Amino acid sequence: MRTRTTRLLALPAALAAATLALSGCSGAQDAQSTRTTLNYATGDAEPECLDPHVGGNYPQALLGTNFAESLVSRDKDGKIIPWLAESWKESADGKTWEFVLKDGVKFTDGTPLTWEAVKANVDHLLDPDTASSTGYLAFQQIADVTRGANDHVAVVHLKQTDSALLESFAQPWNAIESPTALKRPQEENCASPVGTGPFVVDSWTKQDRVVLTRNENYTSAPADAANQNGPAKLQEIVWRFIPDATTRYNALSSGEVDVIDNAQPNNITAAGDNSGLEDLNAPRPGSSNRIELNSGHAPFNDKKVREAFIRAANVDDGIQSLFMGTAPRSTSALGSTEPLSKDMPGSYPHDVDAANRLLDEAGWTKGSDGIREKDGKKLTARFPVSTNQSIPAEQSLFEQIQAGAKEVGIDVKLQPVDLQSWYSALGKDDYELVDAPYTKVGPDVLRILYHSDSIKPAPSGYFANHAQIDDEQLDTVLDKARASTDADERAKLYEQAQQIIADAQVILPLYDQQNHFLHSTGVKGLRALPTVNTPTFLDVEPLPAS
Amino acid sequence: MSAVPSLDAPDRRARRRRTPGSQAPGPLASQIGLWVLLACAAVLALAGLFPGLLAPGDPLAVDPAQAFQAPGWSHPFGTDESGRNVFTRVVHGAGPSLFIGVAATVLGVGLGAVLGLLTGLGRRWLDAAGSRLIDAMLAFPTLLLALLLIAVRGPGVAGVVVAVGLSSAPGYARLLRAEVRRVSRSGHVEAARMLGHSPLRIVVRHVLPGALGPLLAVATLGLGQAIVWSSALGYLGLGAPPPAPEWGAMLNAGRTYVTSAWWMTVFPGLAIVAVGVVATLLGRRLSAHLAGRSAGG
Repeated sequence: MRTRTTRLLALPAALAAATLALSGCSGAQDAQSTRTTLNYATGDAEPECLDPHVGGNYPQALLGTNFAESLVSRDKDGKIIPWLAESWKESADGKTWEFVLKDGVKFTDGTPLTWEAVKANVDHLLDPDTASSTGYLAFQQIADVTRGANDHVAVVHLKQTDSALLESFAQPWNAIESPTALKRPQEENCASPVGTGPFVVDSWTKQDRVVLTRNENYTSAPADAANQNGPAKLQEIVWRFIPDATTRYNALSSGEVDVIDNAQPNNITAAGDNSGLEDLNAPRPGSSNRIELNSGHAPFNDKKVREAFIRAANVDDGIQSLFMGTAPRSTSALGSTEPLSKDMPGSYPHDVDAANRLLDEAGWTKGSDGIREKDGKKLTARFPVSTNQSIPAEQSLFEQIQAGAKEVGIDVKLQPVDLQSWYSALGKDDYELVDAPYTKVGPDVLRILYHSDSIKPAPSGYFANHAQIDDEQLDTVLDKARASTDADERAKLYEQAQQIIADAQVILPLYDQQNHFLHSTGVKGLRALPTVNTPTFLDVEPLPAS
Repeated sequence: MSAVPSLDAPDRRARRRRTPGSQAPGPLASQIGLWVLLACAAVLALAGLFPGLLAPGDPLAVDPAQAFQAPGWSHPFGTDESGRNVFTRVVHGAGPSLFIGVAATVLGVGLGAVLGLLTGLGRRWLDAAGSRLIDAMLAFPTLLLALLLIAVRGPGVAGVVVAVGLSSAPGYARLLRAEVRRVSRSGHVEAARMLGHSPLRIVVRHVLPGALGPLLAVATLGLGQAIVWSSALGYLGLGAPPPAPEWGAMLNAGRTYVTSAWWMTVFPGLAIVAVGVVATLLGRRLSAHLAGRSAGG
């Protein structure tokens, strides 16, 4: 009995103590009207390696933009502008490029930025041991980097002319890292890569967060940044991994985080009405988001079957209902951010009768279960979906396309898997359909995605030509477009390439690569870098205290 | 979420009900309750075996133009993000859910029975070893064990059945071991032993009938639990692949739109609750009935 009394008395005492402690806290906060720690929640997969050279996917670009910088950047109109290089010059034959680097820039480990850093980075990206894919493919034409007139001039020698060179140098996967840091073992460099960026990787708690702190000596802003000299105004960015879209949005609404990526359509539309949240719509450049049909083996090695699948899919209605006006339909292989992208609605019509007729012609007959058969084999298509790279609305769209295909007798097997299993399914050629948006600066992405060379895996094991289209004429056009130094000829060639791809019926374009960032209205000065539209926090003002 | 308390609870409840002064429902109310319960179970069984009778539509038929329709005459539970009829999907989801539940329970009871008999009737060392094995399995959280199995085997219906079945087996094993031991020490088994019956005959004729009753009651309870667990795994995306009308998967899909289309979450959720409640109440009734009979006899 006595113990109970004591406990009853202890409770109010504890409450009083807690109240005192809490009021103490709020008093301290009042004094400080702003905070300089920004909380970011990403829905993209957690990178295996923070160094954007290794592999090279969008999650790495998102993080890498904070700590590593490129030689050049792009402005809103697609024009290449200075960043780490203040100027550049192309030789008459187009095979030698001179980059003059900014003076006085230092990596956050103290190493100065010189031509040697450029060489070390190009070598690192091209070294098969780095297992680079995106950066490696972009730098294929580079033969060597040498010293120019002084230590601050890097001369890039090409094997053949490359109209995409500056666009390649602008990518976050081809960012310039500290040559001293690159000499460390890969594992170490993956955990704490070193660049010249406005923030520095401070710590990485796997499956939870990466903490980035301010680079106090930052001086190398891209030419279009508002904050041209001096460090960022934020002190720290806490980069959290919250894969679940609803949880992520709830964290934003409750003020637990300030910015989220991969926002859902219904949340984006709500953000407009409910002030307090703003949407930064920054579609990823490069390819459109499209389903690729593996033409490398049966059944999609038959063009009629590919055409039938494309005609069976009712994409327009699905996008309208699922994306609620946040994503317009695309009928191009290229994202609409690319000035040379061309819409070809005539190539991707919704026509169920035509689909049935084409399949009849191809010799596939309907079985008792409604699925077509030929020579005792069912017409099935495996469709691995990486749940780390896909929002629920997109997966619902795939289910609708699956239902449309079933109506004409194609059995689409949706396989929701994690990113690693997804890569492995692609690597083993265990897929007939796949949705693998590819982000790259410039229309040269077409060469990466549809040149027959891209059926061979890059050092990382990844190959980009998932449609496995192997067309000599297309190869020639893409090679020519890349080598062309004439803007008009280049535009014409890329148009021709898009036409060949559309005629081959190896893709079903859906919409631009969605890239919506929702943030609280207190976040001022957030913008997406017009290279691959990753957000930069350099210009972000201190946040109002919560 | 541990299996032990939920399996023990009804037994204790049933015994308590026999003590004088407890507030058992009156005979009439109890009768009505029983009929309601049986009617619910019949509807669920009907949905599971012949879903087309209740909902003749195609649970997979999409109609994007009809997406996110609120419940109404043409679709009593509304439509989902692809314009599919939620009522049709909930009804057609009963089959897979019940199948997974029954199959997992059968597997769990089967394995549990073998383990329980071995430990309950076997020699001392066998009992010690088996009991430690049961302890170890019980110490492992059910869902975690299921996740582990699915990680190895890959997602799918078979994986869920094996996972939930294996996870529930130790609970049944422990119960059966205790029951077998209790019955073995009872007077009539003692008498049979005195009369010189063979051990096998004693087990089959005298021990098992007494021990299996409680197991059956608990298995009915376990059925509800197994369906809830399989829904949980479906919710995590580890059950039947999309677009199968699986209750857990529907719950997860609806969660995204819960603020604008509540019906996508509420109705599959209610279905899971209904199955859980019906199985639990049936299990309790059965266990009370058996307990009453053994007390009377």
